[in-house]
Amino acid sequence: MTERDTDTRKPSPGWIPPMELELDRAAPVPAEEETALLTGSGDPADLLPAPATPVRTTRRLGRWLFGALAALVLVALGFDTADLLARAFATSLALGVLVGLLAATAGIAALAMLVTELLSLRRLRRIEELRAEAGRLELDAPDGRADRFAGSLVALYADRRELAPALARVRDHVTDAHDEHEVVRLLDREVLSPLDRAAYQRVLRASRDTAVATALSPAALLDFAVVLWRNLKLVREIAALYGARPGYVGSLRLLRRMLANIAVAGVTESAHHVAVEALGGSLAAAISTRMGQGVINGLLTARVGLTAMHLCRPIAFGPDNRPSLNRIRKELLSLPKQVL
Amino acid sequence: MRIPDLNSLYDAGSRLLLESTVRVGVTGLRRAGKTVFVTAIVDNLLKSGRLPFMDVVSSGRFQAARLRPQPDPDVPRFDFEGHLAALTGPDPHWPEPTRGIGQMRVSLRYRPDSALKRTVQPMATLNVDLVDYPGEWLLDLPLLRQSFADWSAQTLELAARPPRDELSASWRGWLATIDPAAPAEEEAARRGAALYTDYLHACRRADTLLSLIQPGRFVEPGDMKDAPLLTFCPLHGAQPNGSRGRGSLWALMEDRYEAYKTNVVCRFFAEHFARLDRQIVLIDVLGALNAGPAGMADMKRALELSLEPFRHGSSGWLDWLFGSKIDRVLFAATKADHIAAHQHAQLRALLDRLVGDARNAIRFEGAQVETMAIAALKCTDSVVTEHEGRQLRCVRGVPVGRDRPTVLFPGEIPEDAEAFPPGRDRPYNFLAFRPPDDLGRDPRGLPHIRVDQALQFLLGDYLT
Repeated sequence: MTERDTDTRKPSPGWIPPMELELDRAAPVPAEEETALLTGSGDPADLLPAPATPVRTTRRLGRWLFGALAALVLVALGFDTADLLARAFATSLALGVLVGLLAATAGIAALAMLVTELLSLRRLRRIEELRAEAGRLELDAPDGRADRFAGSLVALYADRRELAPALARVRDHVTDAHDEHEVVRLLDREVLSPLDRAAYQRVLRASRDTAVATALSPAALLDFAVVLWRNLKLVREIAALYGARPGYVGSLRLLRRMLANIAVAGVTESAHHVAVEALGGSLAAAISTRMGQGVINGLLTARVGLTAMHLCRPIAFGPDNRPSLNRIRKELLSLPKQVL
Repeated sequence: MRIPDLNSLYDAGSRLLLESTVRVGVTGLRRAGKTVFVTAIVDNLLKSGRLPFMDVVSSGRFQAARLRPQPDPDVPRFDFEGHLAALTGPDPHWPEPTRGIGQMRVSLRYRPDSALKRTVQPMATLNVDLVDYPGEWLLDLPLLRQSFADWSAQTLELAARPPRDELSASWRGWLATIDPAAPAEEEAARRGAALYTDYLHACRRADTLLSLIQPGRFVEPGDMKDAPLLTFCPLHGAQPNGSRGRGSLWALMEDRYEAYKTNVVCRFFAEHFARLDRQIVLIDVLGALNAGPAGMADMKRALELSLEPFRHGSSGWLDWLFGSKIDRVLFAATKADHIAAHQHAQLRALLDRLVGDARNAIRFEGAQVETMAIAALKCTDSVVTEHEGRQLRCVRGVPVGRDRPTVLFPGEIPEDAEAFPPGRDRPYNFLAFRPPDDLGRDPRGLPHIRVDQALQFLLGDYLT
């Protein structure tokens, strides 16, 4: 009868009997986190635990090569600039001052760009951290972490005027009785779903633009350029919408990760759909290859946009609010009829 | 002859076509909080300021809600205004519990979600009929399958066991003095029924919160107080051949028992229960925990019996009898504000274990089932305090009967374990708290815990 034995064991020392306690010593539940949530300040991102860093398998040799080359170029630039300055001063004082000013301006501008790039990269990284944290909160919910999460999210959107009513609503709704899962869901519904709608509209518009541009452009090179430019613009728009505001490096990084995602997630699937829909679905597309190409390019742009939405959203999409390609597909397929 | 106005005809027609109606049953054993729950959902729907988890509200499609005359003129109206006044008045107190059935219609206007629906009707209306009835009435259903002799034997056996034996002493004492085979006298029947009713009332009042009470109308008579239908009680001495003389006390009681079954039980199920579309069952899990293992076991048994009608498919005879069409059932552990917020998950897990059997049966029938820990009216805040160097999560509120707030550590429901760990005397102490002051001034509606999620589960698919 082992069960009986375990039944008769003494209460564990950690057990506390029900009782009433002093009123004055009690504090509202997550004191520090709630102030962070309310004020949206205090840099609650610092409270977030560091996200698990993925194991990097970069090729070290390549890194050394690029580093050394960059250093070489920098040194050469420095020598050249110094040389140029010396020669300018040797020619005349006025020319020397002018060249010196130009060099200083270029240096400062480069430094400023570097700083903004770094800042934007940090913002992007913070969104990624937030998404990882939200995923962890969905799985298991340790006490008080959701409030920190909410604080970071609110801080991210604090200076967005159009989101102020939504944030106020969330502050109004969240009580001490909501658990972490519910707080995350509330933020998702109240703050992010309007952003989702706006982002989806932009994806729709961009994919229509590329489709039309491809269909109408006379040269292949031209529409390649248009598609590239429109995709880059779309990615930056979506990232800015979700609060990332990426710089050039950030956009490139996003684009790179997106290309990887698209390649992994479903080029085959998309190609299949695209071919079936474009060729079988619409007679007009079958007649006009340019139209067909336009539709295909539009769909690819849409795919890029949706992937950007996935990558930039601070809380990952759930099964019921995932943006779908279907509506865009329908819209694009009705396009040839409109144009013809 | 009066010629009907075309406009009003059109109105009536469009209402018939374009308004949908959903009947939501609200039930629960006594003190489960039905009255406050109905008051809270009506108030919250009317003000719609605290429903972030209702899709129709959070997506901005909700227009407004208002009370409308209820469809059944012969059912008492739920006294919403009176109960709300009790909660929000200058001296807030819990409203008088309702006895018997009550009905209320709230009409919601909203913009449909799908484009197709929007072209047909830009503004849709959903009539929500809330039907509030005592869970005790559900306990009567198993009677339909029992003969008077079986029921008598079972009830007597239960009454002789602790903790009920003390409560039933005077009734059983009377039983010992009478002879069921003796000629029937109305006086004897009335006396027996009165003693039996006292015993049932004593069960309800007991500290251990006994919930298994049959027949339910004895304690919740509704409009049938003192009717001969309610003048019977279980008797000793069922005979194997079942032949009792005509005109004996036994025969009289048996007749009335059968009449109770046809006139009360069947009628209730056919007129009310069978017409419900959705059902929410409120369960006072914390009250049962407070009452200790005996109270908990009694409530589990009562739950099993009262959930019988929901598993109609498992006993085929109920199908043709009632043809219930309930397709969503929500089990809710009420008064979740009596414990600190981080305990809600454990409360829900405990509820899951309590109703697990019924839930599987209902799921098997194809209906959706959900469990939640809710509080219709949030009276406390969760606070943190320190005790012997440890952080304790407690609740702060004003207990009933006091006027100063207190901080209470009510005990913690263990995770994945027995609710009553051995070796601990009275592991829980959940106090009843008073409704907070100044509720009436808040334009957002009564504060609650997860009532919006409950509404989303019950009504969400109608409001698309």
